[in-house]
Amino acid sequence: MNDELRTVAAEILARDGIDGIVGLKEMHGTVRPCLFTDAEQLSCMVVDSRYPVASVVRLLLEEDPDLRLAVVCRGCEERSLIELAKNHQIDIESVTVIGIACDSDTAKECNCSKPYPDSLMVGTALENWTRDTYATYRQMSGEEKLAFWKEQLEKCNKCYGCRNACPVCFCKECELENSLWVKRGRLPPDFPIYHLIRAFHVAGKCIDCGECEQACPAGIPLMTLSHLLREDMEELFDYMAGRSLDEQNPVITKEEYE
Amino acid sequence: MKYEAVLTTCPYCGCGCKYYVEVVNGQAKRVMPCKEDPVSEGKLCIKGWNAIDFVNSPDRLTSPLIRDGDTFREATWEEAYSLITSKFKELKDTFGPSAFGLLSSAKTTNEENYLMQKFARSVIVTNNVDHCARLCHASTVAGLAAAFGSGAMTNSIPEVEDADCILITGSNTTEQHPLIGTRIYRAKERGARIILVDPRSIQLASIADIHLRQRPGTDVAWLNGIMNVIINEGLADEMFIEQRTENYDEFLEEVMHYTPEHVEEITGIPRNDLIDAARMFANAESASIIYSMGITQHTTGVDNVKSCANLAMLTGNMGKASTGVNPLRGQNNVQGACDLGALPNVFPGYQAVTDPASREKFEKAWNMHESIPETPGLTVVELLNEAADGRIKCMYIMGENPMISDPDISHVREALDALDFLVVQDIFLTETAELADVVLPGASFLEKDGTFTGTDRRVQRVRKAIEPIGSSKPDWVIISELARLMGSDQFDYESPAAIQDEIASLTPLYGGISYQRLDERGYLQWPCPTPDHEGTIYLHKGEFKRGRGHFFAVSYRPPAELPDDKYPFTLTTGRILFHFHTGTMSRRSGPLNKEVPTGYVEIHPADAAKLGIIDGQAVRVSTRRGTIDIPAYVTDRVPEETVFIPFHFKECAANLLTNPALDPIAKIPELKVCACSIEAIV
Repeated sequence: MNDELRTVAAEILARDGIDGIVGLKEMHGTVRPCLFTDAEQLSCMVVDSRYPVASVVRLLLEEDPDLRLAVVCRGCEERSLIELAKNHQIDIESVTVIGIACDSDTAKECNCSKPYPDSLMVGTALENWTRDTYATYRQMSGEEKLAFWKEQLEKCNKCYGCRNACPVCFCKECELENSLWVKRGRLPPDFPIYHLIRAFHVAGKCIDCGECEQACPAGIPLMTLSHLLREDMEELFDYMAGRSLDEQNPVITKEEYE
Repeated sequence: MKYEAVLTTCPYCGCGCKYYVEVVNGQAKRVMPCKEDPVSEGKLCIKGWNAIDFVNSPDRLTSPLIRDGDTFREATWEEAYSLITSKFKELKDTFGPSAFGLLSSAKTTNEENYLMQKFARSVIVTNNVDHCARLCHASTVAGLAAAFGSGAMTNSIPEVEDADCILITGSNTTEQHPLIGTRIYRAKERGARIILVDPRSIQLASIADIHLRQRPGTDVAWLNGIMNVIINEGLADEMFIEQRTENYDEFLEEVMHYTPEHVEEITGIPRNDLIDAARMFANAESASIIYSMGITQHTTGVDNVKSCANLAMLTGNMGKASTGVNPLRGQNNVQGACDLGALPNVFPGYQAVTDPASREKFEKAWNMHESIPETPGLTVVELLNEAADGRIKCMYIMGENPMISDPDISHVREALDALDFLVVQDIFLTETAELADVVLPGASFLEKDGTFTGTDRRVQRVRKAIEPIGSSKPDWVIISELARLMGSDQFDYESPAAIQDEIASLTPLYGGISYQRLDERGYLQWPCPTPDHEGTIYLHKGEFKRGRGHFFAVSYRPPAELPDDKYPFTLTTGRILFHFHTGTMSRRSGPLNKEVPTGYVEIHPADAAKLGIIDGQAVRVSTRRGTIDIPAYVTDRVPEETVFIPFHFKECAANLLTNPALDPIAKIPELKVCACSIEAIV
């Protein structure tokens, strides 16, 4: 699949009006994001599920809004780009998506909701993909659920990693740092408000990539929370973050006075 | 547009998390965790996430400074070097090399520590070189070397999660080594039993199966008590004791005095809880001991460490995966600074200065015409005492801040003021640098290449991501340039990689380590003696480094200063999650400073009520050394009659209060226990 990706990438990089491709490269035995600007660099471009390249795109466009970038995107990364565009963080017109499909191992590891992008160019979309739906958790009583979260969230050591790693968390001022809601400098952070704020702030934007859970040093099962929230958003509002540029986030009101 | 994700190692604690620093057009923009890093696995603590913040602080030193009355003036490198070399030569000629004291730095790279001790031993020709390991794990280095033959963490970070029982004592792991805390959480999730022994109700108390709250400074007693129960209940690993250890009988005789009843009197730990903990530890298939400053920073530090070693050997928990005695080193490179000989008694790789063959080896390698002194040099606290007494005339301090980190800082100030000449090399004008005659601006971890050695003997690369700020220079460049100006021809290095090659040629522990191998493999854990050696995940497999593990008979001695009518509280000090050591870096990081902008004293609600203190109120804390005013944090995290103060904050510096009484062997001060009084400020 690396060869296939490199061929497609070389063709796109040669196009007029493409300044570079954001993708992943292998170096010193690890995989990391890279801005490929030269065809010669493409020999170390790899297909890998590991890094949120949409965040890199946001960083680069913040620095130079005139950049024209192509981006090697998995399903979740395409969803991230859509959310960033909907929230005016990037201009989607400046971005060309090179869609790649995830294999079933990767999809399983992430418990992905849709392991392929709409603009698929490399690989084959997984068919008949079903994900774990957190059945054990659903069987718990309300009391058990409260006890479960209390136990889990007591381990939180306030690294803000769930927010930092989130591709759709971009506020300059973060409410998690507002001492009106959460006492500063205390461990664990106030239960449940700290985690509720985060959950509700991403409710209409969460694209279910699992970066938050992967970043959590305390092993808190944050995907459980995000999955259930996404499910509620779909049931209540027939809305799914990252699905389409045209869907409006129903939890954000757009009144004149705002 | 230039974008690069540079893989480097965190400059805060000893976990050794690697992460990417995203650099856009030469500016460090963001930290991105590295998911393939075996230590952090793509997770970081709040300090790691914000580790690039201080690098761009407007407070960075950008030019050498020379004292001009009460202030400093900016100077060129040439001018600063010329002043330093002429003063160094003059003072060496007048007072001899033993009037010099050099402090190396657990924050700088292995290569820089190697050069600092090489500068001390071959240019000044003194063994008076030490660093802050003296204040954190000097007792570990001495105690574990005596018991096992090697003074380092026996096992590795990833193994912790597979232990069946973990005994954590004197380590607030989730705050001070968060990514090791991760492994403890995972072990718990797998069903491991967690025993916490700590006077304070720290975050780990919420997952502990047993939490023993000892009186501060009574560690030998409870450790002996646990071993007393294990032996009496027939739970000791007799085969291990027979085959792998020595001096058991003498140890046995001592431990027999420590019945649970007797231990309860000394420590305050209920006897039945002690018995439960002993059974839980001894019955586990693999049991691991994790400790940190709560064990080491005592006048009985070495005794405490030896007792931990005794417990591991008694239960056969040595030389196997997920067991061992695991001291967590506090600084990013305190392990490396020790390994590379920034200690007064050893050359790189713990080769003793008292050994004629070692001296000859280094004198020859460094092409020396003078002889390296055959006796060990002075330690940190001794150096400062001798400075105060006028015997040490000149100090060269790199990346250390004793004006906040050392006990009894009024005395530290007297000592530094008494010097004829003080050079401080740092990235900020620290409280110590403010007293210097010349200040040299070093480059930060983002601005240079090198290696750090994490707490589990893991040597990893630090990679240059951005250019040095202002006219600052990497410490390895500064030391080399100074050495050349002092007349040495042994400091011509093209790069840190060349320094590492020299280290490898002289240091068997690091013999197989090169930049090329580190780039290919990501890390190597010492001992790694040859270029084809895979490194060592855990120590003492099959045989202890010293042959047989040595049991020490250790008897309980109380702390140097106990509460009395005038000073009725026990004061204990330490770090908190959101800050690091003297605050030089963390207090210049917006997000960290926002969490905790100043210090506080943790006091139990019952004590607070008695003294009429409410949460947040300013109180006055006094000891025989000094007095500070500080806000109260009323909390049952601390037990009654014990208070805790983090030591990061200069405006309410805990170390104005602490006791400089030393462990007789390791010379570590008793930062964890002293007597204090508290009153409300009305």
